[in-house]
Amino acid sequence: MARTISYREAITEALAQELARDESVIVMGGDDAWGGVLGVTKGLVPRFPGRVLDTPISESAVVGAAIGAATRGQRPVAELVFIDSMGACFDQIFNQAAKFRYMFGGNARTPVVIRTMYGAGLRAAAQHSQCLYPIFTHIPGLKVVVPSNPYEAKGLLIQSIRDDDPVIFCEHKALYDTRGEVPEDSYTIPFGEANIVRDGGDVTIVAIGRMVAVAGEAAKELATSGIEAEIIDPRTTSPLDAETILDSVGHTGRLVVVDEASPRCNLATDISALVAKEAFAALRAPIEMVAPPHTPVPFSDALEDLYLPDAQKVLNAAKAVVEYQR
Amino acid sequence: MTDTLREAYRVMRTIRTFEERVREEFATGEIPGFAHLYAGDEASTTGVCLHLGDRDAIAGTHRGHGHCIAKGVDVKAMMAEIYGRRTGSCHGKGGSMHIADLSKGLLGANGIVGGGPPLICGTALAAKQQNTGGVGVAFFGDGAGNRGTTLEALNLAAVWNLPAIFVAENNGYAEATSSTWSVASDNIADRAAGFGVPGVIVDGFDFFAVHEAAGEAIGRAREGGGPTLIEVRSTRFSVEADGDCLKRFRARVIDSGELSEPDFDDIDAEVAKLIEESVSAAKAAPKPTLKDLETDVYVSY
Amino acid sequence: MGETVAGIVANPASGRDIRRLVAQASVFPTAEKANMVQRLLAAFAVTGLDRALVSTDLGGISATVRQALGRGGTWPAVGFCEDDPLTGTAADTTNAVRRMVEAGAGVIVVLGGDGTARVAAAACEDVPILALSTGTNNAFPQKREATVAGLAAGLIATGQIDPDLVTHRVSVLEVVTKARREIALVDVCVSLSKHIGARALWDPTSLTELYCTFAEPDGIGLSSVPGQLCPSPRSSPDGVALQLGPAGETPYVVHAPIAPGLVRPVGVRAWGVLRPGVRVELAAAGGVIALDGERELELKTGESAFVELKPDGPWCVDVRAAMAEAARKGLLRAETELGKERRR
Repeated sequence: MARTISYREAITEALAQELARDESVIVMGGDDAWGGVLGVTKGLVPRFPGRVLDTPISESAVVGAAIGAATRGQRPVAELVFIDSMGACFDQIFNQAAKFRYMFGGNARTPVVIRTMYGAGLRAAAQHSQCLYPIFTHIPGLKVVVPSNPYEAKGLLIQSIRDDDPVIFCEHKALYDTRGEVPEDSYTIPFGEANIVRDGGDVTIVAIGRMVAVAGEAAKELATSGIEAEIIDPRTTSPLDAETILDSVGHTGRLVVVDEASPRCNLATDISALVAKEAFAALRAPIEMVAPPHTPVPFSDALEDLYLPDAQKVLNAAKAVVEYQR
Repeated sequence: MTDTLREAYRVMRTIRTFEERVREEFATGEIPGFAHLYAGDEASTTGVCLHLGDRDAIAGTHRGHGHCIAKGVDVKAMMAEIYGRRTGSCHGKGGSMHIADLSKGLLGANGIVGGGPPLICGTALAAKQQNTGGVGVAFFGDGAGNRGTTLEALNLAAVWNLPAIFVAENNGYAEATSSTWSVASDNIADRAAGFGVPGVIVDGFDFFAVHEAAGEAIGRAREGGGPTLIEVRSTRFSVEADGDCLKRFRARVIDSGELSEPDFDDIDAEVAKLIEESVSAAKAAPKPTLKDLETDVYVSY
Repeated sequence: MGETVAGIVANPASGRDIRRLVAQASVFPTAEKANMVQRLLAAFAVTGLDRALVSTDLGGISATVRQALGRGGTWPAVGFCEDDPLTGTAADTTNAVRRMVEAGAGVIVVLGGDGTARVAAAACEDVPILALSTGTNNAFPQKREATVAGLAAGLIATGQIDPDLVTHRVSVLEVVTKARREIALVDVCVSLSKHIGARALWDPTSLTELYCTFAEPDGIGLSSVPGQLCPSPRSSPDGVALQLGPAGETPYVVHAPIAPGLVRPVGVRAWGVLRPGVRVELAAAGGVIALDGERELELKTGESAFVELKPDGPWCVDVRAAMAEAARKGLLRAETELGKERRR
């Protein structure tokens, strides 16, 4: 039965249900003993003794340990609070987890999930606001999940834990308190299957993570001017559901990609390149990309608001492609 | 005991002969990429790995052939891997620095200096979760003793009281830099003390010294005593007799009357045959093809 | 008197053997050994010593001292023993001590445990040694502040104190096998184990015989066994000899602190006085002989070995006596103008 819970509660519920279902699941993260920095593991320690582990702030050791344990029959979920601190353990992710299966000739399974928080909007400034999922998307061997709401978060996290490959699970910090309908029962959402959040025939808007909601606001506004936008949430950036995107552009002929990540080599450029190459004939207008400027995330609320993609920017982009005249 | 001695010598001799052969073959240009040799440190990995079984996992280093052999990885598959063949232990996708066999608890030689210690915390954690009594052993060099990953792993192993053994193979040179320059206070064992972990130094040319210390450390870890750092001291391989762990082993065991010359000669002959066969099999084996290029990136994608 | 020289030998390997693993023996950090060398050098300078000769090592002690040399500070001229290639074994200590003897050192300060002192004692000839504890067991070296030891050593090496007044000759145990002649400063022990292994002796169950130059009730290490059973002071020319056995089968059991953190029941069959000059055959054939707590000699099957207490061991500095002599002679004090004025 579905009820309304928060994005944070949906994640906690996914962890709890998987811990209860599968003994090999273990959870580790900073301050997990009292619920974790994000409050996501609250209440799990007494329910699952010895399986929710508090860690020192040691990104390499903790992520490395999660990876090592994954090769020996565990399904570890490591929490690395800020995606910005991933630099401290890139080696373990890029050179160890991501490479094992290929480098060892297919003789490896590394079912590890690294949960991490990304995104701007909370005035957390340059070192705590980045959207680094494109970096992980770039690496063969990793899967990257970017859930856009509570329902997606629960189903995708359960899928991540059951998945046999290393998964980077990216949670947007501004979404934790957003609420939505989530079934109580356990369920999974498969990777590489985009969600068509809204149907429309005039323009395709592909949006990532929190940008799905921003695109939704823009679409409502567009509808008042008679423009029906089709919104696609890829859910996972690796694997990427190219087919759904291409199909949509096939019938709309127009594409706007909304990505909160820095504009060079982000998901917007990646998806734009894909569409330009595979669906060029269908395009009736140049592709628009809505992304922040090529700067670090600023601190001041005045600057951060200017920095972030918002509904107005998406609206403008959508109108530009719809109104485009050769 | 004589079985253990025979096995110890067989493993050390296999590593030595394997590495000498790789060196020769590498010089011909037929082996692609890099090949970092382990010859000279045989007593280290052998003294440790003889205490281990399938429930135990190890992580090797970029100089990792010795660790692989001592952990029981198939020598022919290893040689084929070094030759980049489809029959190799990683089907030609890993090469010298990435030979692995997870079924044998070998997390791979590792191309990244200091890559192994965090992983071993994980295998030790898994053993603890599953109550197998298993341990994790991370081999690393004096270069990795300066890496944050190694120090973080030592700390994590201490706070989680993991059955993890950190074996520092200190040959005095991190790549080509003498470690008296690159290591502030060049006793890696000292660093263990900073984490409340026992740190001991043993003679890396002496199988018996390594074997005894490793046995104590592994036994302690299996019983819940927590991690240990063992610094195995040796200098990089030179042909001086007194620095040769194989010659030393052989002379001592013959002196003590535990084994005789013919015992050793038989093992030498067996090993020579095995290495010869593995080289000819590797040379004859096919290389991977286009259809192998994009497989095995993911379990499913 | 020509150039005055003192030597400092610091063993990088002391204080880190298997007893840290099987017991809770302390780690003696390299950084602290390097600090001790520098404290010795600072004290040498005050005594007016011309030159200090310091051992080199691959463990980072000499490297740290070398770096500190560049930072200024008042030290005598410092030279390093660099003529012998480093082996990472006890031979490095032997070589360094020989070089110091050749260079005319008046005193050699030895930083290490019982094992290091033993190796230095075998090579120092008539040059007095001052052994400071940086090892595990430390029945022989003293636990003393290096600065004070440096003053004592410097005053002797510069001839300001007569060594005959403040040094004494200790007895040693000499062990002879077919191929080797070794000495021990504290104890010689026979073990049934076949291999030297990790060297340090920490399991008493395999021990059969024990010989000690002295046995103090408050001692640590194997000499603590007779220390509780049949004490024999360092000043006595005699030593002690014990027959050991498994704790369950012997008439006596001593709960002895055989290593830091290890108090073990040691079974004793019998004991007696070991007189100087008496050669005793060890029943060690095929076993291992440990010297000062370290397994050192592996015997071939049927190979025999002998032990003898010898009174002509190394000359050792008595720091307390030396500093008392310095006080008596007023070597470290001076009367200022103000003092002279007051006296008038």
